[in-house]
Amino acid sequence: WRPEPAPSPVPSVQTGNTVGAHDDYWKHATQTFQTQHVSSAESDFQKALDVNSSYPSVQGQQQNASLHVPNSQYIGRPQVQQTYQQPSQPPTPADVHRVNKLQILTNPRIAPNLAFGLAKSSKDPSASSVMAKPAYVSVSVPKLNERVLSSSASDSGLKPGMFPASLRGYVERALARCKDEKQRAACQEIMKEMITKATADGTLHSRDWDTEPLFPIPDTNAMNNEQTAAPISSLSAFRRSPSRRTKSRWEPLPEDKPVDKTTSTYQDSAKHGGWVPFDGKDHKFVSGKSDSKDAIVSKFSSAEPNSASRTAHRPVKRQRFGNDLGTIVNGDASSDSDKEQGLPAYYSGAVALANSPEERKRRENRSKRFQKGNGQRSEHHFRPRNVGAGNLYARRAIASALSRTSEDSGSEAVEDIDWDALTVKGTCQEIEKKYLRLTSAPDPSTVRPEEVLEKALLMVQNSEKNYLYKCDQLKSIRQDLTVQRIRNELTVKVYETHARLALEFGDFPEYNQCRSQLKSLYAEGIAGCHMEFYAYNLLSVILHANNRRELLSLMSRLSDEAKKHVAVRHALSVRAAVASGNYVLFFRLYRTAPNLNTYLMDLCMEKMRFEAVRCMSRAYRPTVPVQYIAQVLGFSAESEGEGDEDKDLDGLEECTEWLKAHGACLVVDSNGEMLFDAKASSSTLYMPEPEDAVAHGDANL
Amino acid sequence: MAYLSMGEAHRRITDYLNAFSDAIAAQDGPSLRRLLAFSSDNPKLLSVAQALTVFQDASRLIRQSSDMLVPLLRALQSYKLGQLVDGYNAYEKFANAFIQEFRNWDSAWALEALYVVAYEIRILAEKADRELAATGKTTDKLKAAGSFLMKVFGVLAGKGPKRVGALHVTCQLFKIYFKLGTVHLCRSVIRSIETARIFDFEEFPARDKVTYMYYTGRLEVFNENFLTADQKLSYALTHCHPQHETNIRLILKYLIPVKLSIGILPGDSLLEKYKLLEYRDVVLALKRGDLRLLRNALQEHEDRFLRSGVYLVLEKLELQVYRRLIKKIYIIQKHKDPSKAHQVKLEVVVKALKWLQIDMDVDEVECIVAILIYKGLMKGYFAHKSKVVVLSKQDPFPKLNGKPVGS
Repeated sequence: WRPEPAPSPVPSVQTGNTVGAHDDYWKHATQTFQTQHVSSAESDFQKALDVNSSYPSVQGQQQNASLHVPNSQYIGRPQVQQTYQQPSQPPTPADVHRVNKLQILTNPRIAPNLAFGLAKSSKDPSASSVMAKPAYVSVSVPKLNERVLSSSASDSGLKPGMFPASLRGYVERALARCKDEKQRAACQEIMKEMITKATADGTLHSRDWDTEPLFPIPDTNAMNNEQTAAPISSLSAFRRSPSRRTKSRWEPLPEDKPVDKTTSTYQDSAKHGGWVPFDGKDHKFVSGKSDSKDAIVSKFSSAEPNSASRTAHRPVKRQRFGNDLGTIVNGDASSDSDKEQGLPAYYSGAVALANSPEERKRRENRSKRFQKGNGQRSEHHFRPRNVGAGNLYARRAIASALSRTSEDSGSEAVEDIDWDALTVKGTCQEIEKKYLRLTSAPDPSTVRPEEVLEKALLMVQNSEKNYLYKCDQLKSIRQDLTVQRIRNELTVKVYETHARLALEFGDFPEYNQCRSQLKSLYAEGIAGCHMEFYAYNLLSVILHANNRRELLSLMSRLSDEAKKHVAVRHALSVRAAVASGNYVLFFRLYRTAPNLNTYLMDLCMEKMRFEAVRCMSRAYRPTVPVQYIAQVLGFSAESEGEGDEDKDLDGLEECTEWLKAHGACLVVDSNGEMLFDAKASSSTLYMPEPEDAVAHGDANL
Repeated sequence: MAYLSMGEAHRRITDYLNAFSDAIAAQDGPSLRRLLAFSSDNPKLLSVAQALTVFQDASRLIRQSSDMLVPLLRALQSYKLGQLVDGYNAYEKFANAFIQEFRNWDSAWALEALYVVAYEIRILAEKADRELAATGKTTDKLKAAGSFLMKVFGVLAGKGPKRVGALHVTCQLFKIYFKLGTVHLCRSVIRSIETARIFDFEEFPARDKVTYMYYTGRLEVFNENFLTADQKLSYALTHCHPQHETNIRLILKYLIPVKLSIGILPGDSLLEKYKLLEYRDVVLALKRGDLRLLRNALQEHEDRFLRSGVYLVLEKLELQVYRRLIKKIYIIQKHKDPSKAHQVKLEVVVKALKWLQIDMDVDEVECIVAILIYKGLMKGYFAHKSKVVVLSKQDPFPKLNGKPVGS
């Protein structure tokens, strides 16, 4: 940091910079910083920080100072101190980068908390957790700012009740940047204009002010800075971009991300070369950094080691700031996107920036991706919301994907990522795993690789436990297969196993899921019990949907070979029996059903029996022995083998019960034989309400 | 292909363009139609297409309304070169522009041309899909043509002279939906045709009415609403131009099974005249009560019946065949001993079936008999103890007389 130490109400810091070995001045600098913070009033922070935010431009000017410059920047960020010391790497391009990242913290909204964060973090034993720490602290920003808000709100003549809280937050954020009255007045002017405009077009309440980008600080600001900020000319143009960037991107999210970036992931991505091209250039470089992707990389890159310690410390904090967290996190996610759509007019200040071809291209890209639709965007909206483990995974996955894609083209934006690259490779060796519906990208450490899944499938198949357990296990296997995009014989086997179990248990929603998956798997030509499931398919179309067109197309696609297959042939006969109402044939086929065809036939058994009895009541006179009905309607299940008599009796009893339940008139003749009185029954038969019916239609739930 | 000079090519293209703008200026529907009918193998169009390959920069020649003509020329060129996907895309662009213009014309003079556009876009889409399928890509052009025609339908479905064109577009839509297997999409169009007050069905051109009735009749066959199906298909049959034998054949293909299932049998000459011999054995089986013949006929033509969608209808004829068989037994018994004729023993039926090489045991036959009585094909009752069908003395086998079986 050879050149002039820039403008500063923080002289100690600046002088610290000029000292050579960064390790040393680090400690020194942080100390200064700390004390300063502790003692200074809020307004002081703001000043200090604003000055800080002008660094990049300074840097931009003298980028031959390059490698050491970054370090000087760190002074502003006490929480980084430890890590930074530890690796004490020779400054690399990555470092330069990091500087820019970290500089975000100079943002006034975050900064006020730094002292707090520092105190905390210094207690932390591990470097990573140190880094994690200040994040929470910064969450408290809104609270601190409340004061500012109230004052600024009244300043600008806003009546608090009239405007959404988020707007007030926005105003307060904007004003917080101002260093003096002049700026303040100018900002208020701009905001008034914005609010009037928003009121006029009715977006005042609908707009997401939390994510609304801040407008660049008006010109007075620049002038102001120039006064304080030493003889750097044309500074304002550069300065604006980083500060704007950082603000819009980071401000709504004083959460933890900036912190993470120093960890491995960040270095990864740096290593992968995304940054390299920028390095050694001038202000374009600075602006390049503000590229959304870069920022997001760091935002999302949470290193694994962090998670443990972080979660350990989190709860307390979270309770306190729980309310803010949601909106803030959310706001951050969409800030990229909303910014571009939001207020292009206010960006005129950044024209200088926009003129650089690189930047322009990037912007084009970005605006293109918004046209693509909201799908991805909403994804972003929600992902960060799941705080906790899932969130970390999500970020890591994206980060790793990013680092991979950045190899190809450094200037790709997040939304342009090849999402295929998110496919994970599992490392989990546990055979048993509970199913949990993923709400974020999967974590390789909890995903089982193929060979483990094979064992898991065997375990389920041999398990003695109940269906619900097996279903859960199979669903988790299916999930692991899906996230790893494994589509082979194992996949087919898993789905087949699950489909069979679901059929046996009568879990048709689950069965149908498997069925549609199997359909596409078979269509890809993956071998399996094709015929067996073709038969199930036929049966469920016949018995369940009764969709004639689908049935016709299914039947017309059957090959001759398929028609000879025992299961398919059986299914076709069942179809014929159902179509003609031939109950005798139906219940014969029921007995001889291969595989699990029976379970599907169960679906329409009740209907079949009822139709049959109705038919009998019309066609027979005067009576039909119940014994006969029990026989043809499949009540006496196995009529061969020993124990014949008993079973017949059981069947008879069951049939009698069933007939009574359906309103049949039964008489006993002189021989004591139970008879079905056809004529009397013809007017009394009815279909009872199913006993186990539930309102939502699935008794298994 | 003979060598084509640049000047000649230029002349042909300008001729085509002039003809196009003249047709529009003079509101000359038939001429315009000829210029758009790509698949008609009009030699003039062919020569223009040749000229286009020689004269690359044809769009320079276009003076006005280029959003219509540029894609049209590109479509023509690609189409004749066999690049059907490109051809389709360009044609769709043209068609959209054409529709825009069409909307602005007050009279319906261009309806003829619009019909051609609707037809060509469907044919082109089918061909383009074939090309896509050959290269293993997803075939979505016909679907796109469907949504385009839906748009056209919207343009036509309003008050004014253009509304008579709505049914034609509807029929093109039906063709697409049937081809794609998305017949459920027909429902919304049918609803607007049949309920909207602006349409008076009789006002539409006869050919469109016939086509419409044919397709809606087919839909009713799928739903097994035999009475409405009969009504619609019969309308189509009686209004179809008697010289259009292929169309009559198509209608009969669906009408015959419908008529069979309500108990009306066609004469043999009809089947022969329209080459519908696959139904011959079915009819014969119904006449004879020959179950084996019916089953064989169904098996023999299974693919054809499944594809046309009448298989399930024909299969239901089995019950009528059983009835015929029992009726025959009844008649024979009546000859022997009129007093006992109304009692048909089950074992006799089983034996008769055995002669037909159909192996069914007493329980199964009993079930069939019960169903026959239950469905009203036979009057009487079944005595389980003695295994005898006791037929009603009055009209034991009531004729269907145009009523569907069951209920």
